[in-house]
Amino acid sequence: MSAKEIIEAVVLVMVIIGTLMNSLSSLGFIRLPDVYNRSHAATKSITLGILFILLGTFIHFLFVDNYFSVRLLLGIVFVFLTAPVTGHLIVRSAYRFGVKLSDTSIKDELAEDLERAKKKEARTEGT
Amino acid sequence: MTMQILLNLLIAMVWMLLHDVWNTLTFTIGFILGFFIIYSFRRFFPTPFYGRKLWAILKLIYLFGIDLMMSSIVVIGQVIRPRLNIQPGIFKMETKLKTEWELAMLVNLLTLTPGSVVMEIAPEEGILYVHAMDVKRNKPSVIKTKNKLEDVIIEVMR
Amino acid sequence: MFDTLLKLSMFLLTVSIVIALYRVIKGPSLSDRILALDSIGYNVIGIVAVLSMLLNSHAYLETILLIGILAFLSTVALCKFLERGVVIERKRNH
Repeated sequence: MSAKEIIEAVVLVMVIIGTLMNSLSSLGFIRLPDVYNRSHAATKSITLGILFILLGTFIHFLFVDNYFSVRLLLGIVFVFLTAPVTGHLIVRSAYRFGVKLSDTSIKDELAEDLERAKKKEARTEGT
Repeated sequence: MTMQILLNLLIAMVWMLLHDVWNTLTFTIGFILGFFIIYSFRRFFPTPFYGRKLWAILKLIYLFGIDLMMSSIVVIGQVIRPRLNIQPGIFKMETKLKTEWELAMLVNLLTLTPGSVVMEIAPEEGILYVHAMDVKRNKPSVIKTKNKLEDVIIEVMR
Repeated sequence: MFDTLLKLSMFLLTVSIVIALYRVIKGPSLSDRILALDSIGYNVIGIVAVLSMLLNSHAYLETILLIGILAFLSTVALCKFLERGVVIERKRNH
């Protein structure tokens, strides 16, 4: 087994793991009940899957072609910085837009707190 | 701290000048040498040694990597189960971090850890509202992760 | 072997894009559609990376950064629109 074959095997394992993670989290898009649960699948598994695929590509170009690609590293850092931000933004805007939680949800402390704040405001305006 | 990093770069440059070899390998050797020189002279600097902060950053990346792996496995495990048994919900928790940078860092890291997406922040009271995929099972672990991350972030930022 | 498995992984990524497209078309609320579009962007990044390995060229690596930036900016703009009704705010009063 030559060195090139070992590198190819490592790259293949990383790419296959990343691909499986991406497709399984897309499966979660169909199965999970509401936006908030789907955002779990979208932020976590897809970030890790993309990280694996890009790292595999990086290793392939580094060892097979002897090409140190700064752009790929920048892409990894960028995906890592932006994925949680988009997840947080989507969930927050969905809640403010008024998307309902699914029926299986058992607890909503944010709605309780908002209700309390509204009541307090009404009371201060009344007096 | 900036002073020490600049000094370290200067030592690396001097090492390259002395060897008259201008490539990355020589620069790296000079940088490592300078790191040890500054480490041995750390008592004569007014500010603490910058390797300590570097170590804290490395620890943060390590903790975060393990959390990310765990969270992906947990989410995929929930998805491929034939019958979904999840009880999603929103709960709140308190944080002791105050400044914007620290809060942004904590929220970013917490969104990528098992079973939690931060929904809403009240910075004045220091309260985070977190959506969890399975409230009863995830709540203790999320709070534990938050305490761990808070300690490391304080070590890095202050 | 190497090429076959890379093609298989491209096929799987395409399948996940199709699944996300189903969510874009059917999705009960607007937020579902934004989330699915975001994940389509990430899957396209993966496809470009695998394709550049398959063709063995460096020419496509800029595209990864570009698609990432475009996906992020479009998601932020759509969320802002959903939240406030405008994308660019003239007056910030908080």
